[in-house]
Amino acid sequence: MRTENISKLSDKQLAAFLKKNSLSLTVQEARSIVKKLSRDPTMTELHIFNIQWSEHSSYKSSRPILKMLPTEASNVILGPKEDSGIVFLTEHRGERYGIVMSHESHNHPSQVVPFEGAATGIGGIMRDVLCMGADIIATADPLRFGNTFGENKNRTRYVANEVVNGIAGYGNPVGIPVLAGDLYFDDSFDDNCLVNVVCLGLVKEKDIIHSYAPENAVGYDVIVVGKATDNSGFGGASFASLTLDEQAKESNRGAVQVPDPFLKNMLLRATAQVFKEVRKDNIPVGFKDMGAGGIMCATSELGSAAGFGIELIIDDIHTAFEMDPWVTACSETQERFTWVVPPSFTSKLLRIYNEDFALPEIAEKAQAKVIGKITRNPDYRLWYKDELVCDAPIMEVTSGVTYRRKAKAPKRTFKESKLRDIDLDKAFLSMLSHPNICSRHHIYEHYDTSVIGRTVFPPGKADAGLLAPLPGSKVGVALSTDAVPRYGKIDPYWAGINAVAEAMRNVACIGAKPVAMTDCLNFGNPEKPQYFWEFVQAVKGISHAARKIGKPFSKEPIPFISGNVSFYNESSKGSSVAPSPVIACLGIMDDYKKAITPGLKKEGSGLILIGKRNNELGGSVFYHLHGELGKNVPKPVLKEERGKMEFVIEAIDKGLLLSCHDISDGGLACCLAEMAIMGGLGVDVSLPNGELASLLFSESPGYVIEVDSKKMMAVKRMLQERGLWHHNLGKTCRDDFMIKGLRNQPVANLKEAWQNSLKEAMS
Amino acid sequence: MKVAVIQFPGTNCERETAYALRKCRLPADIIRWNKNEGLEKYDGYVLPGGWSYEDRIRAGIIAARDPIMQVIKEQAALGKPVLGICNGCQMLVENGLVPGWKKEVQLGVAPNINQAMPGFYCRWVLVRVNSRKTAFTSQLRKMIIPMPIAHAEGRFVSKEKGLFERLGKQLVFQYCNRVGEIDETVNGSALGAAGICNPEGNVLAMMPHPERATFGFQLGRPGLLPASKIFVSMRKYIEGRG
Repeated sequence: MRTENISKLSDKQLAAFLKKNSLSLTVQEARSIVKKLSRDPTMTELHIFNIQWSEHSSYKSSRPILKMLPTEASNVILGPKEDSGIVFLTEHRGERYGIVMSHESHNHPSQVVPFEGAATGIGGIMRDVLCMGADIIATADPLRFGNTFGENKNRTRYVANEVVNGIAGYGNPVGIPVLAGDLYFDDSFDDNCLVNVVCLGLVKEKDIIHSYAPENAVGYDVIVVGKATDNSGFGGASFASLTLDEQAKESNRGAVQVPDPFLKNMLLRATAQVFKEVRKDNIPVGFKDMGAGGIMCATSELGSAAGFGIELIIDDIHTAFEMDPWVTACSETQERFTWVVPPSFTSKLLRIYNEDFALPEIAEKAQAKVIGKITRNPDYRLWYKDELVCDAPIMEVTSGVTYRRKAKAPKRTFKESKLRDIDLDKAFLSMLSHPNICSRHHIYEHYDTSVIGRTVFPPGKADAGLLAPLPGSKVGVALSTDAVPRYGKIDPYWAGINAVAEAMRNVACIGAKPVAMTDCLNFGNPEKPQYFWEFVQAVKGISHAARKIGKPFSKEPIPFISGNVSFYNESSKGSSVAPSPVIACLGIMDDYKKAITPGLKKEGSGLILIGKRNNELGGSVFYHLHGELGKNVPKPVLKEERGKMEFVIEAIDKGLLLSCHDISDGGLACCLAEMAIMGGLGVDVSLPNGELASLLFSESPGYVIEVDSKKMMAVKRMLQERGLWHHNLGKTCRDDFMIKGLRNQPVANLKEAWQNSLKEAMS
Repeated sequence: MKVAVIQFPGTNCERETAYALRKCRLPADIIRWNKNEGLEKYDGYVLPGGWSYEDRIRAGIIAARDPIMQVIKEQAALGKPVLGICNGCQMLVENGLVPGWKKEVQLGVAPNINQAMPGFYCRWVLVRVNSRKTAFTSQLRKMIIPMPIAHAEGRFVSKEKGLFERLGKQLVFQYCNRVGEIDETVNGSALGAAGICNPEGNVLAMMPHPERATFGFQLGRPGLLPASKIFVSMRKYIEGRG
């Protein structure tokens, strides 16, 4: 065994050695490897710990904080332990079905090489969902870009367009529909965009496959499937755990993976065939996605999670070309998986991939290949050219490290704006064409939203996307993603609360019950106490909202079943992006035919506002438009949020509402405008008493519902019984948009402002 | 009675296409490109959407020359129905089965031209039905039917002057507005061409996706959607052949 003699080096020499070998381990961390192994490490071992102890792989800063989140509830089949979480969906023809859900980020790669970065983000999350034994059914894309009219507009527009092209260029060929997503532009993302992705899958509870070796697996084969390993994405995990240094960008390009949606398409189909065989003969298996840390990470976790060791022969891994053993073991080449199967099943598995689906014929050197065995000794051993290059206790390889980071509230004060004395009519139209409010069709029409044939509401049709996931069943699955960046700038705690509340509201608006959440927490450098404080505050807010709003119609919190943390999102000048706790909410409907959209349906029906308008313009689009940030972010009363939400869901279930829309970006005025534009009808409304700008544009949480006059009594009774604040806004009408306090105008005017502004902002 | 839904490397609509066929009481098997023994026993063939062979060179062109396509050509010549959807449409154009006048390629499917939305474009469109005298349209009762499109290359083109005008009833589907007026702006296709068949009417190449416009929920409506009748027509045609 050839070891690196690092214990003899001084701290300074060791630091230089680590730098020279592109290892981002600290000197202390390197020394602790020597202690753990009771000897000097090999170069391969150094690279392994370098990846496993990175923030990206070990969650070393975030893990203690994430414990605050509720993860358990009666409907959780699998919490945040493996590649994806699973929540109970329904029972259909005697079988229990679950929805698999995962949430990831690919922020840094997307900033550096936007097309490939965004595409491989989609590719990675699809593997996370597939490897639970699931059928992938949808994705969603929460995106945050810089100011496309600001200093950095050319680069920002390039990044935004290429990210959209990357998502389309990957998801469309694989054949997975985009169901939801959200999009914000803000200066703080000029140098560091956020590209998050959510993926859903469908699986029978009894068919779930786990990311660990099965029982009694000693002697089982370890099989790598997919693309030939190359050096692409080597160091990706540690790359994601550093800030983006402008100068280092060139050298970072190699850390971004190369997407191959064509091969992925084939791998999904061949793997579905393997699932069939596994289920037919009840074969005990383990299956895992290869993501961060490549073969090393996947195989070590498959072994350690089941208490076994692993022995691999690196020379047996199919590679694109000759590489150092640590590169082969750790590179993040896309489109690969690891199986652990009994040797009696190996030949069948190899035949499905290599002959039936002919991987080697359709993509150069792609194949399924045995590379090692599960061992009884709990060690992680890698052989290369007949020499041991890694021999470490497997638990040490996978257990990671934890840091207690300092959190300190920054000293900053926010002032509420005095901005009132302006032309509100003009402001209203500008808000409708604001990139954070206007129609998103310019983006989602590039995505295949109808492939698989199960889409009920594609993006843009309603407040949440809706799928009919199970052929032959009426059950519907709803999805929404949310987080307002400018709330995060003022108060990350309330940003967390609002993200949870809005994601849930959006799901409720179509009539679905929120049942589970995932989060992707995008923050700055956790080593800087003020940014770590922002992170902690946001998690507190999320956790509080998830418990206090809770899962509707139950006494339980709404559970987080999967999630991701992305730190080091900063500008080249070292300031963090707007704290962005992005929340995805999954909803379920017993009958998707009952779902409703926000577009107004009928002339002469009643419009009711639910939820008081408060002086909460802080972080609003109204202020954004006028270059202000403000102070008073919306502060939802969580008990009321729950009451309103349960009312909306029940009223829709009883068929009492014609349409429903959540009040968020742009406040009540923009909410009504969107309902009018989407429905092609006008409104004639008067507002409650109060100050006009707040009434129109404050983003205090709430709903507007459209009710047929015949059902008005029943709806009002329900609202009164529940003690929910509401106000009769007025009626729907033919073509004109009439709000007392604003100039009357045809809905067509509003549509013109709203419809095509995103294209102008992006091209 | 059974039809084969052909899966090439990169095809991605085979499952929902087979599902829609079965729900229209037309039993369907998914057949891999490299497993073509017994293929001639099927009563009809569907080439579904996707990115066959990664759309290398040009969409559909490699699949159009795949050995399995020879079998389908022979069976089409016997009068069996062959339906190409999206990428399958591109294949039928690339191997000359459509328009099928001479034994050569006369049409192409080129990148969309749409000022508002360059590149891949996915949305619901309206399509006008021009002929009921094909294996796929005999049961269509509506004149104008909704279907989604999802493609980057869907613009029918030809080097031959006046070819589209000479298609006549072979121009089965055209993009249109609510009152049935031809819409050439969807993807820039000549005469708004959305679907073209061979002179016999048993081979149809169409860009819109009927399998995504079969069930009411796909458009928020009750029951089955009009495009389901494309599959029902195919079944009736096969039944009629005995």
